[in-house]
Amino acid sequence: MKAIWRIAKATFHEAWRRRFLNGILVFAILIIGSSWTFTYLQPGAELKMLIDTGLGAIRFFGMLIAIFLGVRLIPDELERQTIHTLLAKPVTRVQFMLGKFFGGLATVFTNVALMGITFFIVYAIKAPQFQNAAAEEGPTYSMQFMSANIAKAIGLCFFELAVLLSIAVLASILFSWILASIFSFFIYFVGQMADFLRELASPEHGADPISSIVFNVLYRILPHFEIFDIREKILLDDFVPWGLLRNVTAQAIIYVVVVLMLAYLFFNEREV
Amino acid sequence: MAKGQIFGLVGPNGSGKTTTLKLLLGLVFPTSGTGEVFGYPLGSPIYKERIGFVPEGPYFYDYLNAVELLRFYGSLFGLGGARLQERIESLLKLVGMWDRRDRKVVNYSRGMLQRIGLAQALINEPDLVFMDEPTAGLDPIGAIQIREVIRRLRDDGKTVFLCSHLLKEMEPLCDSVAILNRGVVCRTGTMTELLTGEDSHYVATFRGLAEASLQQLQSLAMSVEQNEEEYTASFRDQSSAVTAAETLAGSGVELVALQPYRLSLEEVFIDAVGGMPQ
Ligand SMILES: Nc1ncnc2c1ncn2[C@@H]1O[C@H](COP(=O)(O)OP(=O)(O)OP(=O)(O)O)[C@@H](O)[C@H]1O
Ligand SMILES: [Mg+2]
Repeated sequence: MKAIWRIAKATFHEAWRRRFLNGILVFAILIIGSSWTFTYLQPGAELKMLIDTGLGAIRFFGMLIAIFLGVRLIPDELERQTIHTLLAKPVTRVQFMLGKFFGGLATVFTNVALMGITFFIVYAIKAPQFQNAAAEEGPTYSMQFMSANIAKAIGLCFFELAVLLSIAVLASILFSWILASIFSFFIYFVGQMADFLRELASPEHGADPISSIVFNVLYRILPHFEIFDIREKILLDDFVPWGLLRNVTAQAIIYVVVVLMLAYLFFNEREV
Repeated sequence: MAKGQIFGLVGPNGSGKTTTLKLLLGLVFPTSGTGEVFGYPLGSPIYKERIGFVPEGPYFYDYLNAVELLRFYGSLFGLGGARLQERIESLLKLVGMWDRRDRKVVNYSRGMLQRIGLAQALINEPDLVFMDEPTAGLDPIGAIQIREVIRRLRDDGKTVFLCSHLLKEMEPLCDSVAILNRGVVCRTGTMTELLTGEDSHYVATFRGLAEASLQQLQSLAMSVEQNEEEYTASFRDQSSAVTAAETLAGSGVELVALQPYRLSLEEVFIDAVGGMPQ
C-alpha cells in the first residue's frame, strides 16, 4: 500500500513537469476563462451557451490530458530504465502499475479541478448578468440549482477520464505510445457513439450477420462514454438525480478495475 | 555463490552479464529453467528487502536532489524518520556526494550518477549487492573509492555480485569469478584456482648473471627466459626455487622476485572465450 502511495506521489510530481501537458492545461484555462467573450447570436441563450462551451472544453481538454498522460506513464519508466531500480526494491509489478495509475489519476483530477474552478469563476461573474437577460425570455432556475448540476457534470467528467486513463495505460503496455494514443482516441470516439453501434448491429438496419455480430461485440465491450455527458440534461434545466450519478460512477469504477486487471495480466508477462 | 565474498561475473560485451542481473531481479524471465535468490523464486519481493542493485548507467527521477532521491528509495523499504536521515548522510559521505547533495539529479555527471546509484543500492543495508559495472564513468579516485566501498562491504560480511569487463580491476578485487561468453558460463572458480591454472609452478627473476651462473641456473630450472638484464626461471616447486636462489647468491646474483606462477585474468579470459578475434 505504502509503495503504491510513494510511486503515485512521484508520478504526480513528475507529471507536472511535462511541459506539453501543462501547455494543454494553460490553453484550456485560457479558453474557458475567455469563453464568455464569445458572441452569442441568441440573446437569452448566453447562459446555456456559456455552460455548454465551458463543460465541453473541460471534457475535451481533459480527454487530451488523460490520453497523453496515460500513454506515457509506463513507457517513460521503461525508456529511462527508472523501473529497474524500482523493481529491484520490494515493489511488485501490481504496486508499480497501480502507483503509476493513481499518480496519473491524481494529475487528471487536479487538471479537471483547475479547469472546473476557472469555469466556476467565469460562471459566478457572468451568470447573474446572463440570467437577467434570460429572465426576460421566460422562467429561470436558481443559481444554486444550476451550480450543483454543473458540479455534478464536472464530477462525471472526472470519472469518464478515469476510464479513459486506464484504457490509455493498458494500450501503452500493448503498443508503442504513439499507437496507444491513436488507439485511445479511437476507443474514445467510438465509445461516444455506442448507441449508434447498437443501431448498426440491429437487423432492421440491414446489417449482414457478421457485421451485426462485430457491432454487437463492440457495443458490449467498449465503454459508453456518452453516459458521462449530461450537458443536455443541464441545458434543459433538469435536475441531475443522485441515482444517475451513482449508477454512472459505479459503471466507471467497474470498467477501470477490469481494464487495470487486463493491463496487469499483460504487464506481468512483460520484460522490462 | 558463497556468502561474504566478492563474486565477479566477467564476459565480453553482449555476453549476457546485464541480462543475468535482470533475470536475478525478475525484470526479464528465463525461457527455460528456474532460479532462486535467498531461497525465494526469481522476482519475489521478499528477497528484494535484502538486496541492493547498482544498475548499468543509472537513471533516476531527475527532478529530485540526492537526499530526496535516497529518501524516496528508503521509503520503499518502509524506512523513514531520523534513522533514514542518518543513513542518507552516511551513504552520501561514503560515495563522496555529501557536499553536492542539494544538486538535482538532472545536472549530474555520469560519475555522480554512478555514485548516487551505489548509495541508493545500499539504503536498506542489503546482505547481497548486485552491481553492473559500478566504476564505469568514474574518475580514477572515484574508482578507487568505490572499490574501497566494495571491499568494506565484504569485510562487513556482505556478499557482492559484480559484473564488469574491467579485468585489471576485477583481478585484485574478486574472490571468485565466472567467465560468461555468449550467455554460457565457460569458466568458474576462485580467483586463485583460475589464475594458477593446471600447472602450478614457481617463477624467480634474477639479475646480474654471469655466463657461468647462467649455465648453473639453466641446469637447476625447468626453463629460463631472458628479458634484457633479467632472467626469469621456472621451477617445479617453491623449495627448488629457493635452493637455486641460495646457490646463485654466492656468485653475486641478485634475486629480484620469487612468486608462484600466475596467469593474469586477461590471459585466462582470452583463453576461455576462445582467443583473440582474428
Ligand atoms: N542467454 C541468453 N540467451 C539469449 N539472448 C541473450 C542471452 N544473454 C544475453 N542475451 C542478449 O544479448 C544482448 C546483450 O546482453 P547484455 O546486455 O546482458 O550484455 P552485457 O554482457 O551486459 O554487455 P555489456 O558488457 O556491453 O554491458 C541482449 O539483447 C540480450 O537479450
Ligand atoms: Mg551490461
